[in-house]
Amino acid sequence: MELLAQQLVNGIALGSVYALFAIGFALILARMGILNVAHGTFATWGALSSYWLVAERGVDFWIAALVGIAFAGLLGVLSDVLAFAPLRKRNAGMFAPIIASIGIWIVLLSMAEAFAGPTTKSYPVAAVPATPIQIGGLIVLPAHLMSIAALVIVVTVVHLLLNRSRFGSAVRAVSVDPRSATIVGVDARRTLLAVAFLAAAIAGLAGVLAAFSDNNVSFGLGEALLLKGFAAVVVGGYGDIRGAAAVGVAIGVLEVLSSQYISSGFRDAITFGVLLFVLVVRPQGIFGERQLVRA
Amino acid sequence: MSTTAWITTLQFAGVNALFALSIYATLWTGVLSLAPIFFGAVGAFTFGYLAGTVGLSPFLGLVLGVVLGAALGALTAALVIRLDSHYLAMATIAMVLIGRVLVVNLTELTGGAAGTLVPGELGTWLWLIGCLVVAGYVLARLAKSRFGMAADAVREDAAVAQTLGISPRRIQLVGFVISGAFGGAAGVMQASFLQYIGPDTFYTHLGFVTLAAVVLGGAFHWAGPIVGAIVFTILPELLKDVMGEYDRVVTGVLLVVIIIFVPRGLVDLRRVRLLRARSRQDPPRAGDDSARPTAPQEVTA
Repeated sequence: MELLAQQLVNGIALGSVYALFAIGFALILARMGILNVAHGTFATWGALSSYWLVAERGVDFWIAALVGIAFAGLLGVLSDVLAFAPLRKRNAGMFAPIIASIGIWIVLLSMAEAFAGPTTKSYPVAAVPATPIQIGGLIVLPAHLMSIAALVIVVTVVHLLLNRSRFGSAVRAVSVDPRSATIVGVDARRTLLAVAFLAAAIAGLAGVLAAFSDNNVSFGLGEALLLKGFAAVVVGGYGDIRGAAAVGVAIGVLEVLSSQYISSGFRDAITFGVLLFVLVVRPQGIFGERQLVRA
Repeated sequence: MSTTAWITTLQFAGVNALFALSIYATLWTGVLSLAPIFFGAVGAFTFGYLAGTVGLSPFLGLVLGVVLGAALGALTAALVIRLDSHYLAMATIAMVLIGRVLVVNLTELTGGAAGTLVPGELGTWLWLIGCLVVAGYVLARLAKSRFGMAADAVREDAAVAQTLGISPRRIQLVGFVISGAFGGAAGVMQASFLQYIGPDTFYTHLGFVTLAAVVLGGAFHWAGPIVGAIVFTILPELLKDVMGEYDRVVTGVLLVVIIIFVPRGLVDLRRVRLLRARSRQDPPRAGDDSARPTAPQEVTA
């Protein structure tokens, strides 16, 4: 029983990282209509830059984490300025942004590979908070606590921001039609850039937390998050970030419990099994109206 | 580069062209899919396993790759064709990523992380060009058929195609079957040239390069992917001397630049026709936007 509770905590912490990543991914998909496959590399660069600051420059972990998050956000803004905005201006359709995002993915991934090298690294022991905390009979690592807290804060803030603020109204208007939004006085350009920054920065946060939780930094970090985040968005839907976040947490719990009680080799297989099952059984529930969408 | 290095590079350009044609086959019907890489992996590893255990002849291996690929294409279509285009693209990318998990974990069949050796009898120019000619011929014939016209219609606007009595799903299913057959063949050819296949042989990098090839060459004519694959395989080799390990960065940047500035690719018959029509008419009037003779989607609103 104690083991189950402990594993549940571990699963929720792991799932929180997936959920955070899924939130940013869903934001870009829902509000900008871009399936951004480069989203994983934002997380990778968030983790890599904060790791570099801590390990090579001796910067305090918390400051390094903030810089890493901001750096990831900046990459998101840059991608939008250099690739997605010109496509939007040309009305380039649905495939063009996917292909552009694959281009960004290649660039950022190969630069991450060159920057980080083939080996995985870990944060210097002294630099990061690592003393486990006892809560009741459970042992909670600081990284786990941070992941869960970060998820709660981000979900609350982003949800309120999108649904209760003027900025949220602007985002919704721009996501339907940037030109009409401009007519009613919304600065579409700035709103889209803000969304791009927010989504990429949340990915950076997920990347920092993933690296910190596993104490493992490598250039492939974001790729694993990408698949889990994608699964969460598909199953949970992307209209409401709370759906994607809840499914992200569920995937984490499922993974930890299945590797504890079934087999660790099947960990990924189970996640993808659920993903395929939902795709096949309930596509209309989540994605309906396909034939009504004009090309 | 030495002559042998050039020949090897050109051979891989040919295999990439076969993969690119496989991606083109679904893109023609309005579906962006990276599933061909997965089909190629299945074809190649099946070929490798059967050649190693029961001594399957290479030719039968190629046939098996085509049949298996086509069947998988139909199966994939049945599973994913209902999805919204974003989800569909991502689902096929997921297939590629899952493919690697399968290769690493099914050690008995695939050799796991160590990979497996494959006989190289098919790794000759004759077989490669043969495959490309057959694929090109099939696509060229289809382009002039009722299927080709229907595919064009579905790609441009599935809703309108449906009102014309075309079933978009059926057209896309056929696209997936063709894509699967080409992908399976490309996988077997790739394995024959390399003579060794591992978890990373059929992975994202191959997917990137072939998709980039289709985009660069042009996704509106079957010759586009072939031209694109040749350019896109040779270019990084040339750049390797200058750029070192950053040659892939150039691939990525090129992909973005092409999709923004030449969205219809290098092989674009419509642009040729428009230019020809323009030169027949009077010289352009003052203020005529002659700098942009291409696609209507390029006309800024």
